[in-house]
Formats: sequence, structure tokens, C-alpha cells
Amino acid sequence: MSRGPGWLAQHWLTVASPVALLIGWEVASAVGLLREAFFPRPSTVLVHLRRLVADGTLLGHALPTLSRIGGAFALAAILGVVTGLAMGLWRRLREGLDPVFAVVYPIPSVLFLPFVSFLVPRGETALIVTTAATSFFLIAFTTTEGVRQIDPLVVEAARHYGARGRRLFTAVLLPGALPFIFTGLRLGLGYALIVVVAVEIVSASRGLGALLWLSWQVLKVEDMYATFLVIAALGAVLSYGLAALRARLLPWAQDVAER
Amino acid sequence: MKVEPVKVVVDDVSVAFDSRGHTVVALDRISLAVAAGEFLCVVGPSGSGKSTLLRVVAGLLRQTSGDVRIEAERPGAPLTAMVFQEHALLPWRTVLANVVFGLENRGVSRAQREARAREMLALVGLSRFARHYPHQLSGGMKQRVGIARALANDPEVLLMDEPFAALDAQTRTIMQEELLRIWATLGTTVIYVTHSLEEALLLGDRVVLMTARPGRVSQVFPVELGRPRGLEIRSSPAYGVLLEKIWTELRDEVLKSMEADRDP
Repeated sequence: MSRGPGWLAQHWLTVASPVALLIGWEVASAVGLLREAFFPRPSTVLVHLRRLVADGTLLGHALPTLSRIGGAFALAAILGVVTGLAMGLWRRLREGLDPVFAVVYPIPSVLFLPFVSFLVPRGETALIVTTAATSFFLIAFTTTEGVRQIDPLVVEAARHYGARGRRLFTAVLLPGALPFIFTGLRLGLGYALIVVVAVEIVSASRGLGALLWLSWQVLKVEDMYATFLVIAALGAVLSYGLAALRARLLPWAQDVAER
Repeated sequence: MKVEPVKVVVDDVSVAFDSRGHTVVALDRISLAVAAGEFLCVVGPSGSGKSTLLRVVAGLLRQTSGDVRIEAERPGAPLTAMVFQEHALLPWRTVLANVVFGLENRGVSRAQREARAREMLALVGLSRFARHYPHQLSGGMKQRVGIARALANDPEVLLMDEPFAALDAQTRTIMQEELLRIWATLGTTVIYVTHSLEEALLLGDRVVLMTARPGRVSQVFPVELGRPRGLEIRSSPAYGVLLEKIWTELRDEVLKSMEADRDP
């Protein structure tokens, strides 16, 4: 995936749409179409963002969030991929776990918090486990599908050419499932961000979610939007980062996806 | 013609499987002998068990009864290597990595297996594409990789399951000529399944005609058209006579097979 000079020409909408949104907002607030008390101009928000960065407030709240996302994502990724692979390989396990997953998965993640607090130490551990829950299900689901969608003819050919047991797993089933696993990881990382902010709003004194909520409660609307921007940017960076990693690691799957 | 020793013996092989409570007989007491270095074509209507026969010889499917024997001449070489209808390459492996796959699984050293793979890629004319991935190749090129992958293993018998059926007509013709050239170079024993009589007559030393389900050997036709062969054999009278003769038999089997598929 190379971003030559033609990239901007082809994907100008990707850049133009957020810029147009911000300009529209700026103008609407400036002319009084939007009430500045609730919808401060983006330029004003940027000024406040710079202040939050300068006085260290933002970093103090961003670091705990990042470390929670890191912990939750690692937990969800490891358990999700392992569970998903096992479910993809063994029909019995899949049949046993499917109904359980189907019931638990749609529950809004934040609601796991009290339940999780009974099982693990309250505080950080409970926050991380709760954040990991939804991501875990997403990653396990996509990994299972990743194993199941591998062309049986390819597996038969690989067996015919002598791939058995562990070798069949490492050389055929795992690489065959990887594009789906990456999709699951990307979705899971996105959800980890969504859930961690929600969980921080309910039960943390530090973290971007907490900062957002605190700013709202004391009506520091500009700070709220500034935090909002940071969370949005974080989401975009994580998502595109994982997509770039996929392109680097799975060149054979990339061209197919872009078609 | 020199009499070659027997390479493959299919002795009284039957395959039956259960389908929704019914026993379906795919192969019914098939017996065949393939000579070393022979190019044997198997034709028959769909459902005649051609692919099933090939899968049994490949060891991908176990027969219900009967016996398959392959005379091994080279210790360490696999008995069979199959070229699959839908190429069945590993999409995440480059062309070179696909061709070395069998050797890699057998523990052949890296230097040795890559040298062998490059030799085979040169043979099928794909040396420049060693680092490409399968999805970057055309259908014909993928099938060339499939052939190189099979040949890299230096199998006692090369099995081909309608390898060119999915290709367009021009590509198919080129591939058939290429295959004949490669076969003439290597002298491998080939069992080739096809639904095309024209293809069987162009390629084969003999044509085995199978019946509609349950698959039996209906007749075996020697193809005495001389070698090397090219498309020009189509204008020879002997070709027309043989084609007509086999088609008359095949036609009946195709009609029977269509009849069996119809609602009672």
C-alpha cells in the first residue's frame, strides 16, 4: 500500500469531509447559529486543548486511559484469539460456547462492571476486565469465522502435500484465519476505547472519560470538547495503525481487500 | 511400442458413502492398470466417480473395499502428487513458497528445496513470478504453479483432476501443449481426469471411459495417434473415427446420468 502523489487526488473526500465539518461548525458558532455556551468554536476548543496539554492535565488523564486500553486489549486479544481458534477447530466446543456467547455478548459492557467487581479486585483490575469483555467476544467471533472460512480444498491440498497436525495448524489454519483475526483485533481495539471511556465516566477519577465527565459537570464545555477531540483522534490513530500493521504483515490479503 | 512395467494397479476398488440415510455407490469394483510413463485419461459423465477414483489413488479418500498399489522406484519420493481443479494454492504463500511446500513438509533443506522449486518454475515458465502471490496471477499461471508444486515433489505418479477445466479455451490449449512438453521431458506417469473427450484424445495414451453412477470402467480405448501431438491431430481421420466411437458410448452414459438426476 503506497501513498503516492495520486493518493490525495483519489481520496480527497476522506480529508475534505472532516475539514468541511469543522469549518461549518466554526462559522455556525461565530454567526450565532449555534449557542457558543454549548457549542464553542473549534478554534476556541483548540486554545483550551493547548492549555490542557501545557499544564499536564491531559497527559495525567490520557496515561491511565492508554494503560487500561493496553491491558484490556492485550487480555481480549490473547484470550479471544485462543478461544476463537479453539472454537474454529473443534465443533463441539463451538456448539457448547455459541449459545453462551450469544446471550452474554449483547449486554452493554458497562453493565459488567458490578459483576466483574465481585470476581476480581475493584479498581484498575475491574476496569480492565470490564473493558476487555466486549472486545474479547468480537475477537473470538471473528477468529472462529476466520478458521471456518478457509477453503476446504486448500486444506485438503495442504494435507496432500504432507502438512499434518501442528504443521497444518501453523502453516495453513493460522495464516488462513489471520485476515479475519486482524479485522477482529481492529474492531476489538475500537470497542476497548469506547468501553474504557464509558467505564471511566461511571467509576474512575482519572482517565479521559473521567476528564470528559468532570468538565461537563462543572460546565467547562470547552474542556469537554477538547477531551472529546483527543478521544476521537486516539480512536483514529489506533484504527489506522492496526490497518497499516495488517497491510505490512499480510500483503497477500491487502490487495484482495482493496479490490 | 515397448511394453513398460506396471506402475499403478487399481484392483477391484469400490467406494460407497452414506448420504441422508442412503448408501451411494460412487465407485463399483474398478480395476485398472497404468504402465510406467503412461499418460492415462479418465473420462465419464458427471457423477461417474472420476474425481473419486483420483482421490482414492492419491490417498485423500479411503476405498470401501479393494486395493491400490503403486510401484515405488525412488525411495523418499511421495507416491502421488495432485494438481487440483481449482488450483488450491495457499494464498498467503508466494509462488516459490507454494512450490516448496511439499518438500518443506518432508524436511528437505532450504537450499535443496528452493533449487528444486526454481527448476520446476523454469520448466513451467514462471521463474520471474517466484515472489508473486497467487492472487496476482492469472488462472493459467496459477495452474502452472499447481503443476510446478506437484512436480517439485518428484512423485511416482502425477494426478490431475480437470486441471484446465476452469480456464478459457485459448489458455487451455496452450496449457495442454505445455503439459505435453513437460510430460515428454520428465516421462512421469500421469492419471488425468477430464470431461472433455477432445482433451483426452490430445493428451492420453489410453482413454478410460467410466459409466454413470455407480462408476464402473465401461471401456478402455487406446489412442494410437502418434507423438508428439498438437492440435493438428484434429484433422486426422483416425482422430475423427476414435472421437466418434468414444462419444457414442459416452453419450449413452451422459443420458443415463441425466435420467438418474431427474425427478422420479
